[in-house]
Amino acid sequence: MLEVLIIIIKVVVITLVVFTLPLPLTYMERKVAGHIQVRLGPMRVGPHGLLQPFADMVKLFFKEDVVPAKADVWLFKIAPVVGMIPVFAVFATVPFGDKFTIPFINKEITMYIADMNVGILYVLAIAGLSVYGIILGGWASNSKYAMLGGLRSSAQMISYELALSFSCIGVVMVVNSLSLVDIVKSQAGWHWNVFYQPLGFIIFFIGGLAEINRIPFDLPEDEGTLGAGYHAEYSSMRFAFFMLTEYVAMVSMSVLMVVLYFGGWDGPSFIPIPGIIWFVLKVLFLIYVFMWTRFTYPRYRYDQLMNIGWKILLPLSLVNILITGLAVVKW
Amino acid sequence: MSDNTGILKRFLKKVFLIDLIQGLTITFPYTFSKTITLRYPDEEKWIPYQRFRGLHTLNKNKEGKELCVGCELCQKACPTQCITVIPGEDKTGKGISDRIGYRWEINLLRCMYCGLCEDACPTEALKLGREYELASYSMLRQIRTKEELLNPQPIPVEIEGGVIVKARLEADDKGIKVVPDLSTQKRWW
Ligand code: SF4
Ligand code: SF4
Repeated sequence: MLEVLIIIIKVVVITLVVFTLPLPLTYMERKVAGHIQVRLGPMRVGPHGLLQPFADMVKLFFKEDVVPAKADVWLFKIAPVVGMIPVFAVFATVPFGDKFTIPFINKEITMYIADMNVGILYVLAIAGLSVYGIILGGWASNSKYAMLGGLRSSAQMISYELALSFSCIGVVMVVNSLSLVDIVKSQAGWHWNVFYQPLGFIIFFIGGLAEINRIPFDLPEDEGTLGAGYHAEYSSMRFAFFMLTEYVAMVSMSVLMVVLYFGGWDGPSFIPIPGIIWFVLKVLFLIYVFMWTRFTYPRYRYDQLMNIGWKILLPLSLVNILITGLAVVKW
Repeated sequence: MSDNTGILKRFLKKVFLIDLIQGLTITFPYTFSKTITLRYPDEEKWIPYQRFRGLHTLNKNKEGKELCVGCELCQKACPTQCITVIPGEDKTGKGISDRIGYRWEINLLRCMYCGLCEDACPTEALKLGREYELASYSMLRQIRTKEELLNPQPIPVEIEGGVIVKARLEADDKGIKVVPDLSTQKRWW
């Protein structure tokens, strides 16, 4: 009974935290954008614009919810949710920290919802599902721009998911386990995978950028050529759901990177702060890197995107597996 | 040979993502550099240099006498004919001679702030000042008369300008004013 209760509490806490994360992240994104462009970013609402995300949220609530006349209404309405659920489901296996014991009742609590023995497969499979939301949204809008955005995202997903998964195999070969908890535990004491799998990490990073549709790979919502891409026809809360999905996907991608390559909750042992803080700091840093790249690079052209995916990243990830295999056999 | 090393160099550059990393190193320092955003109108205000051509002022000399002698030269010089001067005889000693601008009016809607009136003025009575917040709710407000222009402008002539000062926004039914606080001057950049 208590077990079930604990799991429910964990699920609720994680969902709530992840659900509210986009608020500070939009603020952070705009501040980073502002300062990189020698501006200030939001300044007007609240001290240093801190309340700006709430103002935006309220604004989105009160916008009219437009459904295009010839849209496939049911699909149109369900698409944002379809896109949103997988990015949340990813967090089910993510280990945020080590066990800790609740005082008084002496109960050990693990900092993850479930330790699946095929964790990494689950994560990759579920994260890939999120593209359905984008495709359905683009298809159901009955607009050529949205449709093209959806198509682009599916093509992009196929070409980058492969390289992404292959780069994960390198980690799995080194660690010898598919469970995310084992992967983190094996990296304890500065044996971070990023030092052993630098090539794999770079492929994972680039593939990750493409997977979560961030610049330089945000072809599905390319403002220059597609208006706003797959969410061109969306407004109000449905649009907010797409935004939410995008930010949560960014968080989940950084969380995955931290788990796979940066040793999870592992940190320098001479600084006595709990592992979860290290975890959050690493995730924050990676999110900052995502934003930093967003405001540094221009967007790739579509054919360049395909070239990079199929002709460079995919062979490289295979080479990475080969090298890792040889190294594992040797040592 | 040189061609070959060029190719090799370019290849290595691509392999180690040199260009991309260079891009990142350029944008990173900008994150911490000084912002160029001016929080006008309710927090900061730009004080222009003395050469700035804003709203006209009519000056007085040290004894407090009006320098304008009503010669109508500014009216003649103005390309858009927005100044109206009606000279008059003055026995009260307000001006520096016995001739004075009885009426002196300018229509700011037509003025293009070229400064030709200022150049034409023989007594240096007319000067284009540094006030530039001229928006108002009423067109009539754009016709300024001598009485108003004789008042000194909020930014004293002695201040060199080219600085940012703290400011406060004040709006009433006459129009909008940004009141500068000249005690805290800050160079831009
Ligand atoms: S500044 Fe130019 S346009 Fe304006 S009143 Fe003087 S002469 Fe006329
Ligand atoms: S402002 Fe100068 S130019 Fe104009 S009427 Fe007076 S003295 Fe003459």
